[in-house]
Amino acid sequence: MNGAPPDGKRGLLRRGWGALRKPSARYSLLTVLIVGFLAGIIFWGGFHTGLEATNTLAFCTGCHEMRDNVFQEYKQTVHYSNRTGVRAYCSDCHVPREWGGKMIRKAQASMEVWGKLTGAIDTKEKFEANRMTMASHEWKRMKASDSQECRNCHGFDAMSSQAQKQSIYKKHMAAKAEGKTCIDCHKGIAHNLPKEYKDPDE
Amino acid sequence: MTTVHARSRIAWKISGALAAAGALAALSAPVAAAPDAASAEALARQNNCFKCHSVSKKKDGPSFSETAAKYKGKPEAEARLVTHLTTGEKAKFPDGHEEEHKIIKAKDEAEVKNLVNWILAQ
Repeated sequence: MNGAPPDGKRGLLRRGWGALRKPSARYSLLTVLIVGFLAGIIFWGGFHTGLEATNTLAFCTGCHEMRDNVFQEYKQTVHYSNRTGVRAYCSDCHVPREWGGKMIRKAQASMEVWGKLTGAIDTKEKFEANRMTMASHEWKRMKASDSQECRNCHGFDAMSSQAQKQSIYKKHMAAKAEGKTCIDCHKGIAHNLPKEYKDPDE
Repeated sequence: MTTVHARSRIAWKISGALAAAGALAALSAPVAAAPDAASAEALARQNNCFKCHSVSKKKDGPSFSETAAKYKGKPEAEARLVTHLTTGEKAKFPDGHEEEHKIIKAKDEAEVKNLVNWILAQ
């Protein structure tokens, strides 16, 4: 046959293609498919479990850059401890729930691994010097998704005029009417604002 | 025994020293160290003060310049404003309704005092 090696043994590609076309003499196609399907479920489960493990508080605060800075700040806020005992973890705000967005974010997180390896923010000084940059990235991402992660739990329509202070309720309803998004006003809700940041209302 | 001349020179020296001490005391006593504007503004921003107060415009709450003018020269100003920020006392809104003022979140009272003194200087 043309292209066959001199000793007659077929090449890897040719053998692979042959295996795909005629998988097994011993097992039926159905068996092979069912086994493949079940193996796929196990693989997918494992992949998903591993991925969700990177969404846990323990994982995020495994790096001292996070643990010593933004984690300490977040612990002072209402998203950490409040009247109703509902806690928002790092991934609740910083990782999209929707699969596509989540995969994109996880792919982007490879830059964070690089930052960890190169010590981009590994001291307090470097962290503070980069705070505005990092905060701006998140604000931009949240603005682009109309504060999706906020809206996973909070909604204008679910706000109670009885339970919210009058002035606050008015502001929320005005924001809804103006088409504003949560992050427009609620920057600094869980972490310290960068010193360079100026409220446009000042 | 000192002469009359020597005694009057001593008297002048003493009164000169007293005057200098008095001037120093007068200059340093009522004016505390100038407020740290950067950390006052940062605390205000973090607590969302600027959502209802501006430095110069009236919003839901009076502007800081209005507050500073209202309390100018009043010795109880600092204590009054610290109470206002830390006790959740009722505040009147432009439309007439009253609400508890937000209780400030700060590291310690010194931080709150710094903010209050910055407001009073606007």
